[in-house]
Amino acid sequence: MTFSNVVPVGRTCVTEEALREQIVGLLPRLRRFARTLARNAHDADDVVQIAIERALARLDQLRPGSEISSWLFGIVRNAWIDEVRGRARQGRVFAVEELGEHVGEDSMGSVADTLAVQDALARLPEEQRAAVGLVLVEGLSYKEAARVMEIPIGTLTSRLARAREALQEMLSDTTGAAS
Amino acid sequence: MTPSEEKLMAYVDGELDEQARVEVEAAMRADPDIAARVARQQALRARVRLAFERVVEEPVPDRLVAATRGESAPVRANNVIPLRRKESRKWSWPEWSSMAASLAVGAVLSLLFVRHTDVGPIASRGGHLFASGALAQALSDQLASTQANVPATPVKIGVSFRDKSGNYCRTFALREAGSLAGLACRSGAGWQLDAVARSEESADAGAARYRQAGSPLPKAILQSVEDRIAGEPLDARAEAAAQAGGWKAAAQ
Repeated sequence: MTFSNVVPVGRTCVTEEALREQIVGLLPRLRRFARTLARNAHDADDVVQIAIERALARLDQLRPGSEISSWLFGIVRNAWIDEVRGRARQGRVFAVEELGEHVGEDSMGSVADTLAVQDALARLPEEQRAAVGLVLVEGLSYKEAARVMEIPIGTLTSRLARAREALQEMLSDTTGAAS
Repeated sequence: MTPSEEKLMAYVDGELDEQARVEVEAAMRADPDIAARVARQQALRARVRLAFERVVEEPVPDRLVAATRGESAPVRANNVIPLRRKESRKWSWPEWSSMAASLAVGAVLSLLFVRHTDVGPIASRGGHLFASGALAQALSDQLASTQANVPATPVKIGVSFRDKSGNYCRTFALREAGSLAGLACRSGAGWQLDAVARSEESADAGAARYRQAGSPLPKAILQSVEDRIAGEPLDARAEAAAQAGGWKAAAQ
């Protein structure tokens, strides 16, 4: 990633072009977050595309004190709820070969375990999936994740606790990488 | 006192303040059952994260990049969006790279140690993360000054230095495992990991570059180095001497 094209204007302004480039840099994470919501990779990318279009149309809504990544995660989640969830392809649609296309077993987790975890996550209620995606996968703090989901921290942590319990339950009988 | 499951989760998620963290770690030491519950939560977190890790490694579809750059629409390059002063500071540009790149230490590391429980570069002991396997060996044996002669080494050692307590610390980058880079400090128990982040450049970038100021080490790691370092990094001779001495902490 390069920052040579980021042009702070004085100390208080940035160009729209610079913001766009920042969003480009965040695309991998936005895609990943969308993948925790939409099981299907194409649906997930559709969610990201809709979210980007929405975000670019309201760059002026970026609020001081909010991280651009958190702001975008929130837009991705809303795009999922509003636009794609209803028409999302259901069920286990990943071909294993598609899943293993980019990353071999030697560098990442086994394909089988990846599938097991994604299946388990897909069975959780949507609001629990988002909590898991933001905190466990994206590494957001409770505070950030609660802000993205527009819920109190206590609600977030109880969703997380329920999600974890369910995941432990579903994954305990599979031979995962966990020891 | 037995910590609640919620508290253990908060511990795993890095959400506890110093005092609560110390309490949980004391409880883990005192009660193997609590340590096992924490390990179980850590393993789950790592496993879930791992299941999605490959997504960030994939090439981003062109349509998303084009949509973001507005390439299908007129670009208003000099449209300036005012942000308030505080905001500007909050968004410090260098943070972008490290934010995208660096992750919660536990999350990234557990990526490694969960997958390679026995032979991986990271192990968890007593609630702390330590180098193990090839990484531990490289930290103990490998010299930055001579590693260029060992082309196949999975670990690149960067700078070595003494921290403020006299312990030796070394930065490293892993060639595999998503090009992680980190800082490990020697204690009686081994090489304890102080920080880790995804490297912004491939670990193949060349050993010499890791030794330079302004190196491609992630900023989070450089910050950790700056926080810990006492004096200057070791030169080649001091590095060799420290290695020969088994990285024993210097008397202050």
